[in-house]
Amino acid sequence: MKQKTFFFNFILFFLLISSIVSTVTAFEYRIGVREDQELIWKCNVCNKINMDIIFGSDWDDSGIFNNLSQGKRMKWEINSVTINETNININFSIWEWTSENIWGFKDNDSELDYFSNQSDYSQKLNFSQYSSFVPFLFPVPVGEYMGGLSLNEWYDVDNRVLPTLNVEIRKDEILPGFPSKDIQIIAIYNDHGILNSYKLYIKSNVVIVDISLDFLPFYVIPTLIGLTTIISLSIIFYIVKKRKTRNILK
Amino acid sequence: MNLKSKLTKRIKELWEHKIFRYALVLHSFYFILSIVLFFMVYREKNDFIIFYNVGDIFLNDIENLYNQTYYLWDFRYFPLSALFFIPFSILSFEVAFVIFNVFNMFLNVLICIILYKIIVLVRMEDHEKDDKRVILYISIYLMGLPHVLNYIYGQINLYITFFILLSLYIFLKFNTYKWQLLGSFILGISIIMKPTAFFLLPFLIIFNFNLEKKKLKFDFLRSLIRIIGAITPILLNFILFLLYPPLWEGFIESNFTGSNPIALNFSFSISKLITNFCYFYNIPFNQLFVLIGVIVIVGALGFIIFILRRFEKNSIIYGYIFGIIIMLLAYFDSWDHHLLNITPILIIIIFNLPRHSKITKPIKLSLFFFNFFDLAFVGIWYLIYPLFPYNFESTFFLILAFYGISKYCLLRQSKKNKEV
Repeated sequence: MKQKTFFFNFILFFLLISSIVSTVTAFEYRIGVREDQELIWKCNVCNKINMDIIFGSDWDDSGIFNNLSQGKRMKWEINSVTINETNININFSIWEWTSENIWGFKDNDSELDYFSNQSDYSQKLNFSQYSSFVPFLFPVPVGEYMGGLSLNEWYDVDNRVLPTLNVEIRKDEILPGFPSKDIQIIAIYNDHGILNSYKLYIKSNVVIVDISLDFLPFYVIPTLIGLTTIISLSIIFYIVKKRKTRNILK
Repeated sequence: MNLKSKLTKRIKELWEHKIFRYALVLHSFYFILSIVLFFMVYREKNDFIIFYNVGDIFLNDIENLYNQTYYLWDFRYFPLSALFFIPFSILSFEVAFVIFNVFNMFLNVLICIILYKIIVLVRMEDHEKDDKRVILYISIYLMGLPHVLNYIYGQINLYITFFILLSLYIFLKFNTYKWQLLGSFILGISIIMKPTAFFLLPFLIIFNFNLEKKKLKFDFLRSLIRIIGAITPILLNFILFLLYPPLWEGFIESNFTGSNPIALNFSFSISKLITNFCYFYNIPFNQLFVLIGVIVIVGALGFIIFILRRFEKNSIIYGYIFGIIIMLLAYFDSWDHHLLNITPILIIIIFNLPRHSKITKPIKLSLFFFNFFDLAFVGIWYLIYPLFPYNFESTFFLILAFYGISKYCLLRQSKKNKEV
């Protein structure tokens, strides 16, 4: 009898807790960059011939891809971040794609605007205002923000492991002849909502544009060295032990 | 003695074992931790959301079962798997999650019971006759860290483990055709829930080539019954595919040709390591070719070794482990909570091998790695992925287990006797 009472109490307790905490919590989104922070991206691959065929010869005349080519870098400097109940605004200066080592004077000022609450977007969203079809900066937590957006059928958010925005645009889907081939984009963001890796693919997973953030968190190299050392030592220890055992048996 | 007093007596006996007490406490902690973390962090981001939605969509809008816009993450399993989740989808989400996990814990109890029964059934003569070591290994299974993620994500791996072990027990215990049919049917049910055991199907065929005598043994009728039993539940899905053609397209796209297999992640399958490599170095690839290539190489190797095995008794256990290892090595998504499908079989093999066999060593190493260390390497992957996006450690231990089992399968009887 005592056991039965305990069991039912246990179940009731869980149901009670569940109902109490089941009210939906709303995320308070913020921006993962601070004022005066510099963000630099580098272009690892840029297949101009394919880009000309797919988007026309003027694809690199303006916008985020202005003057893009392999080996060049682009810099943003965050001027101001404004967050209120309805809007998130980021104002920044841009140094467009260049192969110069000295940045010199900025080329432009620009801004990104997001609604603080994704449900405020009245219609299905796409990012076709950017020639990259994805933004370079999102509010954080980025996975939750992207996941809550109502994006059009080109987009698929996958934040299972890394916050990733997959884009698939079929041939002629935007305008007749634009794009002139099926394209696929994989954009991976870091915890700060910054575009970490951008790859534009054509058929058979051929990369024609590859852009990555020119920044490596401080822990990456020490962890990798630590891991390599541990694995190497384990292998050496195993070989030494094996040899010793063999010698004893002899 | 009735069942209740028998159970109480057994629990009292088990409770006297220190390791079992620790295992129970630790496992209960995992369970409570998962509930707390679910409500605090993972409520909006776990696999159970998908299962919860699937039940509802199956009932009300079946044609859109594979319309991935309805899900947080892709739903990829056979359509009939949705039937299991219908009872949960009529409850509120939070209550459903808690009940689902309570049921998961209950499944773990059943898994331990079946695991114990199988070990007692297949244990080699030179092992200790008492239960102390069996209890130790069952406790190790219960202490496994993959349980934490399985509970937190609201995953269904324990259903799969339960069905796999139940079918294995039936195959080992009963020899008649009707039991063979039932065992394989249960295995088929596990495949419709999640295709982890899919590559186990060829290993149900009783086929053996004796290398010494150059003699082929093939039990056609028994093999046929097993295959029919296993594919019947799978074929039932094709009724739905025929009735609703978009389901077939969605199933194929989400499993084999969609964009998801390209994305960078810490899955430890060989296919994923290859696609991660191609992604990282911008090498063009076709994910379907990668998948088929790995299946053909690893699958064929495992199957040939299994056919050439030099023993017959309890050989189905080795077929099971080959099948699961092939799936984990070949399919794109092999996560740490999937290891809950393999650890009980590794434990069974440890007891089926001679007590002091050298082959136990790689199996034990793999078991301990999967159970206690794999999760740490997932964390390390997050730290190093910008430079080295490969979670290869579990792959290594899967290959190590594959190697150990292959070696045992090909070991001459005289050497086996020597080991005993």
